[in-house]
Amino acid sequence: MSMKIQADRLAPWAAYLLVGVGALIMLAPFYFMFVFATHSRTEIFSLPPPLFFGDDFLTNLTILTERIPFWRNLGWSLYVALASTALTLLFCSLGGYAFALFEFRFKKLLFGLVMATLLLPSFMNMIPTFMIMDVLGWIDQPRALYIPGAASAFGIFLMRQFVAASIPRDLIEAARMDGCGEIGIYTRIVLPLLKPALGTLGLITFIASWNNFIGPLIVMRSPEMYTLPLALRSLQSPVNTEWGALMAGSAIATLPLIILFILSSRQLISGLTTGAVK
Amino acid sequence: MWLEGQRYFSCGALALAVMIGLMQADALARQTLTVAAFPAVDEIVKAAIPVWKRSHPEVDIKVVSRQFGDHHIAMTTALSTSFHLPDIMALEVGYVGRFAQGGGLEDLSRPPFGISQHVNHYVPYAVQQATSRKGTIIAVPTDVGPGTLLYRADLLARSGVSEAELTRSWDSYVAAGAKIKASTGAYLLAHARDMKDIVIRTGIQPGEGLYFDSRSQVLVTSPRFVRAFELARQIRQKRLDAKVLAWSNEWSEGFKRGSIATQMSGAWLSGHLSNWLAPSTRGLWRAAQLPENAFAAFGGTFFAIAKGAPAANKPLAWEFIRLMTLNREVQLNAFKSQDAFPALLETYNDPFFDQTIAFLGGQKARQVWREAARHINAVTVHKQDAFAEEVINTELDKVLDRGKDIRVALADAERLLKQRALR
Amino acid sequence: MMIPTARRISPTWAPYLFISPFLILFAVFGVFPLAFSLYLAFQTWEPTSGLAAMQYVGVDNFAFALRDEWFWKSLKNTAWLAVASGLPQHLVAIPLAYFIHSSFTRLRNGVVGAYFMPYITSTVAIAILFSSLFSTDYGLINIGLQAMCQVPVLGWFMPQDPTDWLGQPENIKPAIAIIVFWRYVGFNVVLYLAALQTIPKDIYEAATMDGASRMQQFWHITLPSLKPMIFFGVTLSVIGGLQLFEEPFILTGGRGGSDQAGMTTAIYLYRMAFDFNDFGAASAMSWLLFIVVAILTWLTNRAFRPRGPSA
Repeated sequence: MSMKIQADRLAPWAAYLLVGVGALIMLAPFYFMFVFATHSRTEIFSLPPPLFFGDDFLTNLTILTERIPFWRNLGWSLYVALASTALTLLFCSLGGYAFALFEFRFKKLLFGLVMATLLLPSFMNMIPTFMIMDVLGWIDQPRALYIPGAASAFGIFLMRQFVAASIPRDLIEAARMDGCGEIGIYTRIVLPLLKPALGTLGLITFIASWNNFIGPLIVMRSPEMYTLPLALRSLQSPVNTEWGALMAGSAIATLPLIILFILSSRQLISGLTTGAVK
Repeated sequence: MWLEGQRYFSCGALALAVMIGLMQADALARQTLTVAAFPAVDEIVKAAIPVWKRSHPEVDIKVVSRQFGDHHIAMTTALSTSFHLPDIMALEVGYVGRFAQGGGLEDLSRPPFGISQHVNHYVPYAVQQATSRKGTIIAVPTDVGPGTLLYRADLLARSGVSEAELTRSWDSYVAAGAKIKASTGAYLLAHARDMKDIVIRTGIQPGEGLYFDSRSQVLVTSPRFVRAFELARQIRQKRLDAKVLAWSNEWSEGFKRGSIATQMSGAWLSGHLSNWLAPSTRGLWRAAQLPENAFAAFGGTFFAIAKGAPAANKPLAWEFIRLMTLNREVQLNAFKSQDAFPALLETYNDPFFDQTIAFLGGQKARQVWREAARHINAVTVHKQDAFAEEVINTELDKVLDRGKDIRVALADAERLLKQRALR
Repeated sequence: MMIPTARRISPTWAPYLFISPFLILFAVFGVFPLAFSLYLAFQTWEPTSGLAAMQYVGVDNFAFALRDEWFWKSLKNTAWLAVASGLPQHLVAIPLAYFIHSSFTRLRNGVVGAYFMPYITSTVAIAILFSSLFSTDYGLINIGLQAMCQVPVLGWFMPQDPTDWLGQPENIKPAIAIIVFWRYVGFNVVLYLAALQTIPKDIYEAATMDGASRMQQFWHITLPSLKPMIFFGVTLSVIGGLQLFEEPFILTGGRGGSDQAGMTTAIYLYRMAFDFNDFGAASAMSWLLFIVVAILTWLTNRAFRPRGPSA
């Protein structure tokens, strides 16, 4: 009996310890990314690698801004990621809501189509996508990066699962009985209830757009129009890469993502949603 | 400016009008050539722009740089659709052979280009590499990678091994490696695969390719492969290779610590060793010809013009390529700043070749590389070369790591390659 | 505040309106690439010669793909990696999300943030660090193992020679699986945490009043409520796992590793197209992979379908 009580008391502490150690392992490479950003490529390519911050950050930054229009690339990345996130949240919440709570003809077939778009490896689409973009005159246009993926299968699927789990059909029926229009139901009932899901999808969409390099590789034909991943990659060659500059650029590039995570984590994990479902 | 009042306004407006007028006139006369490249060719092109501007002040050069692989994918995509092709594209030698199989690049021996009158100015093997089986020349060499053996003179001295012992034959190379390992603990080379890559390139009969002959017959069971595999196995069994791949941090650390005694590579490697891979080993390295008088190329860069590129720009593009590849100053600058070994033979008598290199202990190593560049022979390429290389590497891994019999391994490779040879 | 009746959309048409963005974008950007790659699967093509260079070869590419040893090998590698990296992600992420949800208050965002960071860490940094850890002669792991060799008793169980982690085919797959797990477990934690928000608090309160332990609450309240999100997460892992590309590509320098032990089907497809210049076969293989992924996604769907009142 006393053994059991002891185990009960110890178990949570063991769990906290485990989660804490796990968190450190998760963070380690992230820390090293910033450490590497402050070292020369000679030091980065040493073993063991540098464990603490060095003083080459400014040198790295200088090389970086000399070789590529870094701040401009960063600006385009922000613009594309924000536009892409806004459009995705709108289109996917609409689509997910429709697939979760409406009955309509061809629903299964259409949802199958949505899922099918997830299944083909994206680089097989490079040549035909390039042809479409040329026909549309979208080469070197940022819209070529945020419009095509805005109704992503991933987002629609995520929203459908969320709506199905958290919004009861009765609630929608009741609103209809009260004379609320379909768009009103979506904006005033569905959207507020989807906040955690919108936070999640927004975060993931932003990151996906931020890290996307196949898209810009297809459509961007001028270095000053590159988004960050393509620009940073353009520093890499098989034999002569400015690793220090590359790490500095990569580290700076994650800062907006961290800020975004902090902002969206309020939406995401701000405690339990209260009462709306009742 | 806004606050300075009315009286400046008309003046300003006039100036603005003139400026706009000038800009328009300028825009009409101005032309832009787009050069698609990858590092460090992008830097070399940018550095040549001032020289170009001297003769063509009205033609701007726009450099579009991408990561090495990204660049070649983007060029493949553009060639496949003929959309948005650059006026000039840089190509790495591995892609030159591959792109030569297709019909997307201009034959530069035909007018308005006429490379034929210049071919004697370039290192012969590089021109061969750009020549397709039909005799068309689809690219112009700008830099080449003559291969030599870099070795650590200090480690050799400590183990009483002479340079001649190291390079007399492949067998003496392996024997020297055993001595070096015994007395200094250093590995002979980074990976047994590196040696295999050179040995399979020695003794290729005229008309033969590396893996296939001109009739797509598979050659991987020939004696040069057997010998390459046997030598590589000896290296592994005697634990003479560090089992690290080039351009990893283990590789660079091996150089810093002096635990890798030799490295077969293009001339450009000593520059990278000196600049960042292992600057602390200054003075300890030397360059020698590859063992058994093997001559091989490590990389090389070319410029090409796509058939689908804007026709109006092609004469200018051709002029720009000639500047990049035939101008002594541009070629030597690229050599000095980026270690891009010139493809232009006229540079080879420059005093720069006779200067000593401090990183290589005061050796006049450029003479060694020059010698190598003149002896290299181009190998006929085959569509499946990239796949064949992968298959051979895989079978070599099985021989080295799992003790697979060499004849069985090469027979397996031959069987796989036969399936592909005619695809 | 009511929308005027004239502009009202009937519930019959509303869903079509709501999914119309997807349909339009799919019609513009999705249909042609699919048709193109299906068409290409029946052609042989030297892409640098232009579109006109395609030649019809019937089902040759499919026949070739099905007889190609390396294609089968890549499928086996992919299956192995998908299971070994996918399954643990969910087995860890679900309890972890529940634990964070129920036991952390002030530190919660920090802990979630820590687990999420691998998802945004630059892959270049990961690659450099990874080879630093696993290096045979200088790697931290082997240095650690060598140090343990010095300890009596324990030393008997330790390898005497430094282990070649990344050169040996049998070590590559576990190494990749660990990295994939590390990279995406936090992503799944975030998904599950968001789903946990939607479970009303009063259900737990009622259960606590009834004397249900936390373990019981987890099994009987949390897990069933998470089911739609588990379905989502598992489906994504199936699809993502079978298209695994980036991590093995970076960790094996783009070649797939010794004996192609880390060569996934997606890597092989990529190399077939861009390294080995065989777009036709690559297209055929991508459609074969498509079929495999579609079947497995459908099976996942079946597994999560409600099975009558007992489920």
